[in-house]
Amino acid sequence: MILPVIAWRNIWRNPTRSAVLIGAITVGIWSLIFITGFMQGITVSYIRQAIETRTSHIQVHDPEFKDDMEIKYMIEDQGRWERLLSSDDQVKAYSLRTKISGMLSTSRGSYGVVLEGVDPGPEALTTKLSEQVVEGIYMDTSQYNPIMVSSELAKKLKAKIQSKVVFQFQQLDGEISAAAFRVSGIYDSGNAKADQGKAYAYREDINKLAGLPQDATHEIAILLQDISMIDTIRDQWQAQFPDLLVESYAQISPDLKLFESQIQISMLTMTIIFMLALIFGIINTMLMAVLERVKELGMLMAIGMNRWRVFVMIMLETITLALVAAPLGLLLGWRTIEWLGRTGVDLSIYAEGMKQFGMAAMVYPEIDAVYYVQILSAVCTTAVIGAIYPAWKAIHLKPVEALRKL
Amino acid sequence: MKKVVIKTKGLHKTYETTAVPVHALQGVDLEIGEGEFTAIVGPSGSGKSTLLNIVGGLDHPSEGNVWVDDVELSKLNNNELIDFRKNKIGFVFQSFNLIPVLTAFENVEFVMLLQKRNKEERRKRAMDLLRAVGLEDKANTRPGQLSGGQQQRVAVARALAPKPAFVLADEPTANLDSHSTGTLLDIMARLNEEERMTFVFSTHDQRVIDRARRVITLDDGMIISDEKRDK
Repeated sequence: MILPVIAWRNIWRNPTRSAVLIGAITVGIWSLIFITGFMQGITVSYIRQAIETRTSHIQVHDPEFKDDMEIKYMIEDQGRWERLLSSDDQVKAYSLRTKISGMLSTSRGSYGVVLEGVDPGPEALTTKLSEQVVEGIYMDTSQYNPIMVSSELAKKLKAKIQSKVVFQFQQLDGEISAAAFRVSGIYDSGNAKADQGKAYAYREDINKLAGLPQDATHEIAILLQDISMIDTIRDQWQAQFPDLLVESYAQISPDLKLFESQIQISMLTMTIIFMLALIFGIINTMLMAVLERVKELGMLMAIGMNRWRVFVMIMLETITLALVAAPLGLLLGWRTIEWLGRTGVDLSIYAEGMKQFGMAAMVYPEIDAVYYVQILSAVCTTAVIGAIYPAWKAIHLKPVEALRKL
Repeated sequence: MKKVVIKTKGLHKTYETTAVPVHALQGVDLEIGEGEFTAIVGPSGSGKSTLLNIVGGLDHPSEGNVWVDDVELSKLNNNELIDFRKNKIGFVFQSFNLIPVLTAFENVEFVMLLQKRNKEERRKRAMDLLRAVGLEDKANTRPGQLSGGQQQRVAVARALAPKPAFVLADEPTANLDSHSTGTLLDIMARLNEEERMTFVFSTHDQRVIDRARRVITLDDGMIISDEKRDK
């Protein structure tokens, strides 16, 4: 077991050079972890925000409603759904909704919206709507036909609390109708794009105005206790209700998956670039280490050290360097993510821009534990790849020529 | 009759790397017996180092054969040659060539590790050899902290560690002062007498030549004299 000892001592023969390489690997790993954690934080926050404000974990619709959004496509037998959802331990909360497309107008302007009829209690448990009220009261019961609009929409319609708005829509019988509402609350979900085309009112009011049955439902939004169970439960329910469309958040909003995969691709690209840079750094350093020791390597081969052992010695030196640097980088990265995961990274100066994409201004970096293992393996693999050429050079030295080197 | 340790026949070595081929050895026939203390002398470029390299299995002759302990070196492949060097030949180099990151003790022990000898045997022999070269108190010192003479004594101990058939020393005193040279020669002469170890030197150094019991003179790659002395 002398080779690991020689390898360890050899890397400290030129402490400055080794320290530079160790530093480079450490900083590289740290930055990779930080960027990955940050990007993952953005992804998680984006998906969480979407789940909390738009999609929930699972949604149920009549398949035709998804295509046409005509109010006649209601969920049949929604009572059976209610019984199922209220008795299932996996379900954290659910909300029944009616959705009608139409034109919302004030005396100052009009805008096309989807008016969602909700039951305030279940909706508050399923989404964060009740916490997102920035003005007025969440679904104020003291008013006649209260409506909640987003701050984006209020801005477009120039509406304020207590403003009267008129909603023009098509009834179940095909007749165009209009109904007056009073703005009781203004909310801001943090996703300007989604907010601007949406308003909320009581389901009961909307059903009555549209001529729908009192318990009519176009959409059931469901929040589960365990996010990892989404696909299993969705499949189970879909099998149970083949005439309805049961979708997970990723199916409802493919942009979420796209966003997630784009982030993953960027991360993979950055990791590959880092690893390539690392390979060249290692080749450079180890090649210098080999070329400086040509005579010594020649002597080792002259006195009977075979090529395989010389190869292993150079490989061990490189792996040792990586194994010194990698834990340092991992530790630094872990501490950074752990700290920023608690305090968050405040990007409020970009808040307006981020809001347009449904992203929160506070990002809480996070990283799956498995990533640390992946990065350690990747660095070790890179070190091995980077060491191959210098080790190959070493074993192809001819002792007699190497010994003549000054 | 003395056992022949090294035998060469019709040894030629030509370097074709330059525009004009260089004939470093031109038909060297040589026999060195067990326990000899031989100096190979000659001017620079006479072929001393080339002869030592070929005899040591570090280089191949262009023509002719070398036998060491009755083994024909040209019949060994690269791996066998490495093993052969490890077990049969001790090397002492002009510039010591110790492993700088190992202590004197570890340097001596190193070849025995390559031979996969057991720990106790390794440790005992390494310590005995360091004692024999008068450096037992420097066992834990790295080469960088030793004088040139001390480093060369460690190199001699390392060369003897694998219990070789002979020791090849290429200009072993070239980088030593006269006191260190004297001490080193005393040690090698003693080991030669006590352990019947065969030593072959290439040298310019008159002090070494004076102590040798056989002096082979090379010129232009040919043996021009082979003088055996009684001491």
